[in-house]
Amino acid sequence: MPPPQAKQPDSDAAQAFVGYLEASLDRAAAANPDAGRVPPHRMNRTEYVNAIRDLLSLEVDARSLLAVDDSDRGFDNIAGVLSVSPVLLDQYLNAALVISRAAVGDPGAPPGSASQTYSVSKGLYQDDRAGEDVPFGSRGGLSVRHHFPLDGAYVCKIRLRRTMYGYIRAFDEPSDLELRVDGALVARLQVGGAQRGPAPPVTFAGNIAGDPEWEDYMLRGDSALDVRVPIRAGTRTVSVSFVRRIGEPEGILQPDLPPFGYAVNEAVSSPRGNSGPAVDSLAVLGPEGASGTGDTPSRRRIFICQPASAQQENGCARRILMNLATQAFRRPATPDDEQTLMAFYRAGASRGGFEAGVRAGLERLLADPEFVFRIERDRAEPARSHRLTDLELASRLSFFLWSSIPDQELRNLAATGRLRTPGTLDAQVRRMLADVRSDTLVDSFAAQWFSLRQLRSVLPDPDSFPDFDENLRDALEQETRLFISSQLRDDHSVADLLTANYTFVNERLARHYGIPNVYGSHFRRVTLDAEARHGLLGQGSLLTVTAYPNRTSPVLRGRWLLENVLGTPPPPPPANVPALKEQGENGRPASIRERMEQHRRNPVCASCHVRMDPLGFALENFDATGRWRVTGDGGTRIDANASFPDGTTFNGVEGLRAFLVSRREDLVRTAIEKMLTYALGRGLESYDMPTVRAITRDVAARNDRWSAIVLAVVKSVPFQMRRSE
Amino acid sequence: MIVTRKALSRRTVLRGAGAVLALPLLDSMVPAFGEARALAAATPRRLGAIYVPNGIWMARWTPAVTGTAYELPSTLKPLSAHRAQTSVFTGLSTAGLPKNSGVHASASTKFLTSANPRNTQGSAVEAGISMDQLAAREFGQATQLASLELGLESAEAGTCDIGFSCAYTNTVAWRGAKTPLPMENNPRAVFGRLFGATGSTSQAARLERIQNERSILDSVTEKIGRLSRTLGPSDRTKLAEYTDAISDVERRIQRAEEQSARELPTLVQPAGIPSTFEEHAKLMFDLQVLAYQADLTRVVTFMIGREFSGRAYPEVGAPDAHHPTSHHENDPVKLERLSRINTFHVSLFAYFVDRLGATQEGDGTLLDHVMLLYGSGMSDGNAHSHSNLPIVVVGGGTGQLPVARHLQYPDETPLANLHVALLDKLGVRTDVFGNSTGSLAGV
Repeated sequence: MPPPQAKQPDSDAAQAFVGYLEASLDRAAAANPDAGRVPPHRMNRTEYVNAIRDLLSLEVDARSLLAVDDSDRGFDNIAGVLSVSPVLLDQYLNAALVISRAAVGDPGAPPGSASQTYSVSKGLYQDDRAGEDVPFGSRGGLSVRHHFPLDGAYVCKIRLRRTMYGYIRAFDEPSDLELRVDGALVARLQVGGAQRGPAPPVTFAGNIAGDPEWEDYMLRGDSALDVRVPIRAGTRTVSVSFVRRIGEPEGILQPDLPPFGYAVNEAVSSPRGNSGPAVDSLAVLGPEGASGTGDTPSRRRIFICQPASAQQENGCARRILMNLATQAFRRPATPDDEQTLMAFYRAGASRGGFEAGVRAGLERLLADPEFVFRIERDRAEPARSHRLTDLELASRLSFFLWSSIPDQELRNLAATGRLRTPGTLDAQVRRMLADVRSDTLVDSFAAQWFSLRQLRSVLPDPDSFPDFDENLRDALEQETRLFISSQLRDDHSVADLLTANYTFVNERLARHYGIPNVYGSHFRRVTLDAEARHGLLGQGSLLTVTAYPNRTSPVLRGRWLLENVLGTPPPPPPANVPALKEQGENGRPASIRERMEQHRRNPVCASCHVRMDPLGFALENFDATGRWRVTGDGGTRIDANASFPDGTTFNGVEGLRAFLVSRREDLVRTAIEKMLTYALGRGLESYDMPTVRAITRDVAARNDRWSAIVLAVVKSVPFQMRRSE
Repeated sequence: MIVTRKALSRRTVLRGAGAVLALPLLDSMVPAFGEARALAAATPRRLGAIYVPNGIWMARWTPAVTGTAYELPSTLKPLSAHRAQTSVFTGLSTAGLPKNSGVHASASTKFLTSANPRNTQGSAVEAGISMDQLAAREFGQATQLASLELGLESAEAGTCDIGFSCAYTNTVAWRGAKTPLPMENNPRAVFGRLFGATGSTSQAARLERIQNERSILDSVTEKIGRLSRTLGPSDRTKLAEYTDAISDVERRIQRAEEQSARELPTLVQPAGIPSTFEEHAKLMFDLQVLAYQADLTRVVTFMIGREFSGRAYPEVGAPDAHHPTSHHENDPVKLERLSRINTFHVSLFAYFVDRLGATQEGDGTLLDHVMLLYGSGMSDGNAHSHSNLPIVVVGGGTGQLPVARHLQYPDETPLANLHVALLDKLGVRTDVFGNSTGSLAGV
């Protein structure tokens, strides 16, 4: 482009030139496609856990087994940065041991070997039903998925929340606590209300003790909440919750307290509402007196045969391990595999018999580089692109749509070379999208694209946002998950992400948004009256992760939109940028807008900030936790006007939304770039742009719907092919 | 906790506890005549820091006379058996740092960092690196774990000092100025960190695991070799990462194998947190002994209670919560209870010291080869005083610590000076630490 001072071409001329350039590049690409190459691709944590689920019907807790993966281009499945460190290898070896034991069952496992403690976050109010796995009419508590490796007795040890002084919260009135396993009532315990003697004076609680008997009860009255339950092997839902009392508290309603004041003031009394008793932790301990490995889904999946005699053991082990290898390696098992795995089988069997042998073979299988890595082979002459084999393509499909290994149907089609027969690929993609496993497109793809994962680690400043609690954090996350899921499952067009007139809320979130008549912790779809809340731009999750802990940041929000919606990320700021002055020239705190004006005065800053800041200003009516506001710091009225150097202006989130939607091509191109990056597991390069442009053009005919984009990505050159080195 | 089989109770899992423990590897390596000097050079230096919350009743802590002939007052009496390796420090203080509104938050934070906590309830916590972590930085290369941070209360329990993040009262260990290290309170998790998936400290179990990991790694290495031959050069590089990781892990296994030759008391992985405070504390101390004994780490930081703790101790006749008890208002009943809590804590510490003293290593015992710093970030909890702190140092310090004494320093001598001196004895040179004005004389 000519320098700014020189005469500029008019926009028609510029567009025509760009169009000519792109068309020439696209023609060259069509004649000589460059598919790029993906290096050996290590499974990330999500994929590993999903693969274990699909291979062994076993749920494992990823966080306790494997470290977080590095991310690149906004995603944690980028082959180039998924390295293998000694720490990770150690974790793989440990995981192989733990998983093979849990899946096969180890009757020799020591008592207590499956013990685990689950805690409830302190910032979580337990004033309502704690989720979909606890009964209606319950309040507080938690539900966990716990793996019981053997049939036997287990002890569930429940501990209640303490106040800051160590007293059990609201323990001076009785309440009922229920323990359930897979929804079935195991025990109902009456807790609290049995104290004797006078309490300490309320205002001096913590400095002056009450009667010794009172103290003893209030300090340790929950020490007997241990329930011993016989439980059959398998992964089960264990839940603890209070029975909700129906009735309104009498007297003057008190405002909700922030967690700190809450703990201080609620040292002794008022057992109803959110200041009632609460569960602190649930420890599941055991097994004791284990009676056998039981009949678990994992065992049914592994033991496709049972040897009737010692002579049959080798043959059966071979069948079992070859079957697992075929699934885990995502290709038919070979004599080499057999030799390796059976050597481990024999070593294990010689120590502990048939099942120990299978366990040893499985442990070795899980440490195999062919399980941990997806490896594609070069098949063309150097620098030429070639089609992937059907088996390679099947893996790409399943890791893209399911973040997991291919299932039997996909494997069979690939093994018999039918995956690419007319109509088959389309049918498979539709089948896979309809399968529940495609939820990973929400939890991995969209959650990373929309920065949803960062919501777990933000901590809005309690001084500025005293009512930001864990319930709100959970609700914000759940809202966006449900919303994206509905967008994908109902096959909306991309722009609906910004314009949809509905969302999902529960009572806590509805209160945050000011939506009336929503009660209870259950999420439901609501039609939004206020246009400001439409689509992702009105969702607190996004607005919170793009803010600082104590205030909004038009820069962060603007940059986020440039990067993730318009697909034109600004370069990183130059080094040695001084901090913005917090105070105006009159000595009063500068408003955000005044501070941002400093960006525009400095030409180095302005080159990027004139594009970023206005986008963020338009969202200023949302505070740093996504709550609607009309006044900002110091009571000044929010100014949500945005103006760009080219004269474009708009006002508020409605204006911003209309502006973004008018840029359909940028919007759809960005969605395609994100999805292609995620699908390939590599960053996009210049040679991928013809593909991106082609898909952007093609999906217009199908109204930019998600299914069209997914199919186009699957059929694209970089997904179907690979360049040889 | 449920005592399922005996395996779960601390007393029953420690087979042979109390009996003389087996000699570690060092002995078997030393020729019959044993070159004591060479051995001393090879013997690791170790540090342990043990924190108790809410201050101490100083009248029953401070010995009456200074010098070597001092007598242990009642609170410190449980350490009598190790009087010859117990030094009491009087007059040390963290009050020289600017006064801070978080009286409890700064008590724990300043204890090992000599730095004030930044006033925030949010995540932007800030203090300074702690002295144990300076040592861990130095020793971490030699062992599987650079350091262990342990506690007896869950980080989630209880609330925190007004206006200050819970991180400040939950920990005394800071890897860096902005990185508080969480204290692990679950013995099961600690065991897992020390001994991996083995599930037991028995030599046979550890060796079996080592052999198994080795054969898996050998087999995987061979497989990578076969795979690599079918790949292009750049893809091969990627798989080489796996091979590099394998050689690293093999070195770790090699070290584990050498360590496995050190016989340890057999301890099965605990199921969880024992039901009584005493059992919990002793189990955590047992794990610390094991960690030192197997040379898995040389730096351990341990909080007997989080600062501001409200735990009650009815088992020793102190049925009220600790924090209100520490606000004794000179009420004799409360003072008596506070003193019982203080003494109970010291007696648990003495259990640890006993165990270390009963564990042979080379020409001496583990106790001879460790420096244990025990104390609180407050003296009088009633006044939230950060002056004249209760501090004792126990152990032989691998020959680096002088004869045990009661040392009296001028009021308001920075505690940081002791840290500089102890670090120096550990071979970690620190010229300035926090508000130190030099190395404490007489250490």
